Amino acid sequence: MLISMPDGSRRVLSRSEARIEEIVKDLGINPEEVIVAKNGRIVPDDETAGGSDQLKIVRFVHGG
Amino acid sequence: MKEDYSSMRGEMLGDGNRGRYARQILLFGEEGQKKLKSTRVLIAGAGGLGSAIAFYMAAAGFGRIRIVDCDVVELSNLNRQILHAQADLGRAKALSAYDSLAGINPEIEVEAVVERISEENVDDLLQGCDMIMDGMDSFPSRYLLNRAALKRAIPLFHGAISGYQGQATTIIPGKTACLSCLFPRAPPPATAPAIGSTCGVIGSIEVTEAIKYVTGKGRLLKNRLMLWDGLEGCLEEVSYEPSPYCRECRGLGRDA
Repeated sequence: MLISMPDGSRRVLSRSEARIEEIVKDLGINPEEVIVAKNGRIVPDDETAGGSDQLKIVRFVHGG
Repeated sequence: MKEDYSSMRGEMLGDGNRGRYARQILLFGEEGQKKLKSTRVLIAGAGGLGSAIAFYMAAAGFGRIRIVDCDVVELSNLNRQILHAQADLGRAKALSAYDSLAGINPEIEVEAVVERISEENVDDLLQGCDMIMDGMDSFPSRYLLNRAALKRAIPLFHGAISGYQGQATTIIPGKTACLSCLFPRAPPPATAPAIGSTCGVIGSIEVTEAIKYVTGKGRLLKNRLMLWDGLEGCLEEVSYEPSPYCRECRGLGRDA
């Protein structure tokens, strides 16, 4: 899996299919602070990812 | 070849506006300008985002602008909230906004409301409004705007910022996902760092969307979240969909 982190860095992760929420937690990120795009589309974090999926973890902002 | 719109513009928009909108009439014509003039807008917030939104909407000639904010101008606002000046310190932001906007474009109607937007007053505040511009600084207040937009079936132009980063998208009830489909959970509350130029980028995108919506031009940010990273100098987008599990719309825009 190719993972784009909130700071723009990229990681290649080899792991079995898992819930996106778990993947995010394992990367040390609070799932409440991010949304995740799987292969270019934002998906609920109870969806799973693995194999050659590309994940983009976006730390969305709330200020105005 | 130079085209002369002057006679028609005089008739439709009033002589005071002759020439004011000439450069943008090149983009969407007299007809588009007339549509902007007849559009009534609620700008929620007169802070960093609200300042950029309000300036550009007033200058563009959106005909009726209601701007709502309950706070007063503080010194720490002035790095980014360009509606307000040093002399406005201690004044209600909505009233300071009124003066700035009336100064930019005396041909439009501006209404300033010094209130906190809440479940109780949101219906009244939206009375007669055709669209909602998001200049809020928290997700609970954005969810309130989202619910109101769904209820009234009017678009919500979303934007948010923190530091060098920002995001924007366009919510059209019945045709797109809603804000709660995209962000089912509010992030933990925190004071966001802010620079004026990021507010300018995101507020400008929101206004561009509103102009496109009203004049029927271009491709809106429907089901697309635009992400701005000023530190990287990078603009990206990710797509999203209506969620059948959404607590607010239950995926209302799914089949549209």
